[in-house]
Amino acid sequence: MNAMLEIPEMQSASARELVRARPMLGTMVEISASGTDAVQIRKAVARAFAEIEIVHGLMSYQAADSDVSRINRDAFDAEVQVDAHTYRVLRAARLLAEASNGVFDISIAPQLARLGFLPKHADFPKGPCRGNWRDIVLLPDNRVRLACNLNIDLSGIAKGYAVDLAIRALADAGMVAGRVNAGGDLRVFGDAAQAVSVRAPHAHTHTIPLLELTHGAAATSAGYYSERLHQGQMVIPIIHPHSKLACASGYSVTVLAKDCMTADALTKVVYANPRGATAVLKSYKARALIVEHDAQSGACHIFDSQQAM
Amino acid sequence: MSNHNWLMIPALIIPAALPAPACAVQYLTLEQAQQALFPWAAQFVRADVLITQEMKQRIEKSSGVRVRNTMQQVWRAGGGGKELGWFVLDEVIGKHEFITYAVALLPDGTVKGIDILDYRETHGSQIKNEKWRAQFVGKREGDAFRLDEDIKNISGATLSCNNITNGVKRIVATYREVMK
Repeated sequence: MNAMLEIPEMQSASARELVRARPMLGTMVEISASGTDAVQIRKAVARAFAEIEIVHGLMSYQAADSDVSRINRDAFDAEVQVDAHTYRVLRAARLLAEASNGVFDISIAPQLARLGFLPKHADFPKGPCRGNWRDIVLLPDNRVRLACNLNIDLSGIAKGYAVDLAIRALADAGMVAGRVNAGGDLRVFGDAAQAVSVRAPHAHTHTIPLLELTHGAAATSAGYYSERLHQGQMVIPIIHPHSKLACASGYSVTVLAKDCMTADALTKVVYANPRGATAVLKSYKARALIVEHDAQSGACHIFDSQQAM
Repeated sequence: MSNHNWLMIPALIIPAALPAPACAVQYLTLEQAQQALFPWAAQFVRADVLITQEMKQRIEKSSGVRVRNTMQQVWRAGGGGKELGWFVLDEVIGKHEFITYAVALLPDGTVKGIDILDYRETHGSQIKNEKWRAQFVGKREGDAFRLDEDIKNISGATLSCNNITNGVKRIVATYREVMK
């Protein structure tokens, strides 16, 4: 009897968990924090949400006063001063573009807008040029210039960065464990391993338990909720920068990496060109899992980049 | 680029049959949500708004969002003899999901905060087959997966929250047209 009485006490003394969800970054953001003090946990969760709000304000394509909109409107004519956060993401995007030989490219906004994935801004310069990520010039002191009339979109990487900031906020606030899930961009820290599942590509409401995450990040890209019919094919908001065409839906890509920004961006690289992604995955010490539905057998096939012999 | 072609042979094949229990999360009860959005409120007084046909038209015109319910659940938050604002409970129904959320409005009608209370998937499902649940692809050595634990972390659940964004627009318009 004594032993049974001890168990609940031990649990309450070790850690309690708080989980909250809010609509942010165009999706549902879920934050979980575990700590010992209820007030401290509440504050930590509030801080983590506030960090995500900051990233949203700076890097939204939709908001007219974001750093991204200021770059799109003005950076071809003059240097634009951006926030250190925005600059950090732009620099990471550049490194990813170099490593992936341009498969990751933040200058595909016009294609996304044409397909209806992004809104059209009347005050952005008309007739963007044929340039690419190489034409985004990162100057010292967080200044940005466009060498040609590009439109950039950070939605393929900023969500992951927001998750990283939120996780850091939870850790800085003294939490023993935490989890942030921004519509599929997920990062955890703490002792307990977290079971992560993905949606089946052919049946969105079915989930497949895919992996256990003890640290680091997992991000998934798929068309579940975002796919649109374009010229007789279901396409998703991932553009292959070389062909400028939207990728077909029908499979999902999950990337495991040490931080969520890298995982988020690499899902686009793997989605656009799975066969060519081995080297870039290796250089980021990342791993990709592709879930594909086989219509003939009805089964789901899972491919693992680390099992490539 | 590497010659490795990791898309030749699947690391794992998951059989076709998928059983289908629903996915549901409750983040906050009504009282917890009121407390979270108005921590200093001493009381919440029910002040539901009945929406007439004429109000419905005005709200739809000013928000551009359809009004489906004729009753909006509203509470007046107060404390220390002061009006702190409005707590509005609402729900949206998407293609696969059903979300209950609350919007806190300051006395002047600006949005103070939004919290999700409930998230439910209408045809949600997760795998119950223990045999292959245990053979996770990314499982590390020494990691034990607790079979009875809920799967909380759905990666790739990039559900659009346009429904909630529109709901908030509708609520702000309801305040402007009816509650003010």
